[in-house]
Amino acid sequence: MRLRAVEHRHRLPERLKLALIRVVSGRRVPDVVKTLLYRPEFFGRAMCEWTQAVMRGPSAWSVGERELFAAFTSRLNQCVF
Amino acid sequence: MGTMHERRGRYAAYTTRLVDGVLTQPGHTPPELRRAVLARASGAPREDVPPALAAYVDKVARHAYKVTDEDLGRLQQAGHSDDALFEVTVSAALGAALGRLERGLAALRGESSPPVALSASSSPPVPLSATRRGGTRD
Repeated sequence: MRLRAVEHRHRLPERLKLALIRVVSGRRVPDVVKTLLYRPEFFGRAMCEWTQAVMRGPSAWSVGERELFAAFTSRLNQCVF
Repeated sequence: MGTMHERRGRYAAYTTRLVDGVLTQPGHTPPELRRAVLARASGAPREDVPPALAAYVDKVARHAYKVTDEDLGRLQQAGHSDDALFEVTVSAALGAALGRLERGLAALRGESSPPVALSASSSPPVPLSATRRGGTRD
């Protein structure tokens, strides 16, 4: 993470969430999650709601198909997840 | 920003909420700057982004994987705080995403010259050939 604030300076509720994710997963928290939890009222909360609706909401496409689109797009963007 | 309130479709409300949050929440950068960054990243020919930021905004929009520590270091040394850079980066990424979404949807509708997403109404449309960048072929 290139911005130290987004790496380390989350507010308390988000810091607790990050700690919980770390403990439960037993892994380093992915940067995208840290970004979504940084000042969530600015971007992360609405982004999560958008993603949930698009990726898991009612659709003619199955969840698996949508994940495939996302993975393919990320690959084209050279941002593999 | 007329188009923002004319979105149609299943996800329109989600997209509007997302864009409104980034453009109107109190932050460390003026909302006008975020608006200009978002529009520029969406493909509009905007000249009102300061030159020092414009190069970074274009990089995030076209090939974010090329951003380096040095890019951010230079901007930090120029006095931009992490929070300001966070806001600029999010605005650029969101603008780029919305621009691609709009162009993709326009192509599905069979429009040969799709409107530029989120641009000022006075801005001319950007031809596809000028905006088809990014991906692996850069």
